[in-house]
Amino acid sequence: MHVPVRLGPAETKLIEQLTAIGAAAEAERLTGTGLPTRRVEAYHYTDLKQLLRAVPELAGAAVEASAPALRVAGAYQLMIANGVVQDTGTAPAGVIVGKANGGVLSTRDDVVTRLNNALTKQCLTLDLDGSVDPVIQIDRRTEGAAGHSTSAAKIFVADGGSAVILETYSGSDEAHLGNHATYVALGKNARVTHITVNLAAKAATHFASNEYHIAEGAQLRTLVINAGAALSRTQLFPRYMGAGAHADLTGLNLVSDGQHADITMDALHAVPHTTSKPLFKSIARGRSKAVVQGRLVVARDAQKTDAKLMSQGLMLSDEAEILSKPELEIYADDVVCGHGSTCGRLDEDSMFYLLSRGIPKVEAETMLVRAFLAELVDPIEDEALNEALTAVIEDWLARG
Amino acid sequence: MTTPMLEIRNLHVRIEEREILKGVNLIVPKGEVHAIMGRNGSGKSTLSYVLAGKEDYEVTDGEVLLDGKNILEMEPSDRAVAGLFLAFQYPIEIPGVATMTFLKSALNAQRKARGESEISTPDFMKAVKEAGKALHIDADMLKRALNVGFSGGEKKRAEILQMALLKPKMCILDETDSGLDIDALKVVSEGVNALRGADRSMLVITHYQRLLNHIVPDVVHVFSDGRVVESGPKELALELEAKGYAGFDEEQAA
Repeated sequence: MHVPVRLGPAETKLIEQLTAIGAAAEAERLTGTGLPTRRVEAYHYTDLKQLLRAVPELAGAAVEASAPALRVAGAYQLMIANGVVQDTGTAPAGVIVGKANGGVLSTRDDVVTRLNNALTKQCLTLDLDGSVDPVIQIDRRTEGAAGHSTSAAKIFVADGGSAVILETYSGSDEAHLGNHATYVALGKNARVTHITVNLAAKAATHFASNEYHIAEGAQLRTLVINAGAALSRTQLFPRYMGAGAHADLTGLNLVSDGQHADITMDALHAVPHTTSKPLFKSIARGRSKAVVQGRLVVARDAQKTDAKLMSQGLMLSDEAEILSKPELEIYADDVVCGHGSTCGRLDEDSMFYLLSRGIPKVEAETMLVRAFLAELVDPIEDEALNEALTAVIEDWLARG
Repeated sequence: MTTPMLEIRNLHVRIEEREILKGVNLIVPKGEVHAIMGRNGSGKSTLSYVLAGKEDYEVTDGEVLLDGKNILEMEPSDRAVAGLFLAFQYPIEIPGVATMTFLKSALNAQRKARGESEISTPDFMKAVKEAGKALHIDADMLKRALNVGFSGGEKKRAEILQMALLKPKMCILDETDSGLDIDALKVVSEGVNALRGADRSMLVITHYQRLLNHIVPDVVHVFSDGRVVESGPKELALELEAKGYAGFDEEQAA
């Protein structure tokens, strides 16, 4: 006999919201499955049934905007507030901005992406052609009283095009639930840097799902920074669809007391001769938890795939937890795929060396933490952007 | 009598249950260069780490006075500020920390702790360039991460460069000759000799006499089984080379 799933208040609220918006099938599905528990492999360390206790009302229209979370000099600024695309201003050369109906992610067996697809009414669309000069910033906000807000963006980069896209997530200081999606299609030989910075309110829950379709010869670099929200999960779904497609997927969990941050990658190498270098780092202090999961699926035809997954953790307190899990699912027989993980405290010998030169302990620690992070931030070539990201990290470090 | 630069009194140290230093007594007066010779495992490197303040060692008895001040309760960084410098036997490689950033941070941290103003970037660049020249350290080496990819000789030269910039009162050189060929040994020794002066003392730890042909000490101490067993003029090093350490162990036993 089928035993019905016992639904908690968060699930009940989500089902109610899905029903209200007319997504009956999704409502029914969620009623049947409930939120994923640790028994669902992809949510093993981020048990949503346990962690997501309440869901606020669907966010209404934003009336006032809080101060911007992050400003990059010279950037072309776009804003989505409470799911609604705001005035797009004058687009720079090579950029066509538009709006479309919501739902940008491929359908998969994943509650976060399904909720986003079902609940998002409107998405921002960007068509990028040629070498787009300014950094494009998509500033996503959840404003006003605690609200459940979903948003989406769909970005097409033409063959041979290049762009640097920064997404920031912030808003008023309330217990919001933000669920955001981005779909990026890289044309042949396109070069894209996509950076997402979670600066959500302290009590908020933040979900972001980024899907990438990477065509022949295209090069992608990502940097996910999870610094905000009590609970956050950023999902990366890269699809390597043409020979020579390559991605340097990088990410960083910065967690302090009371925070839980998760970066989960689920990659598909679909065709021969594609390469990737996922590198995820976590720094945890206080009583906090950082999760990194990396799944690499190499299709039967995808010979000569070269993928190296790395997770590195730095624990700055006794109560910090860093959980790291690789999954390799390889159906081709001529591939180079590997994974590695390191986790520990700051290296004692390095500390002693710096101290022995008169550098005080706090400064020495900061130097070593910066050194740990250098390989994530150094490749960001745009100077203003690099500075802004460095500032986010320095802010986090300074908060102690 | 003037205060010695370094005075070690009855120093006992252990790691976990094992006693490594068993009552070290040693005085290095101002402006003098002393050598400590001893075989591997005699406790020489432990002594250098304990002086610099590395954790993991438990001092069970004794005192260490730097220019009259007991330093055993001080943090490693405060000892450096007080004028102590340890040239490491194996300098640590730190990826992600640029050599120049490190040098400037160390220099400014010490200046700040002494109530001095920070060094200006042009003055700093000039000081590094000058000190680097004598040690055959070029700009390319300084552009790399701290000690990363440095050869054995480059690491030792980088240690002496730090010493030249930080201008310590008391330098401890731990096996500075290890891993050096004769040309590199000359460069490093010349660098060290250039830093000798009336206000600076040095303790040169080695188990080969050859380094002492280049850095000629005022006094040689023989170290065995966690203590100084004999002290004498530089000729003692030659005697030690001829007789071997065993000869001194016997004397001690007798």
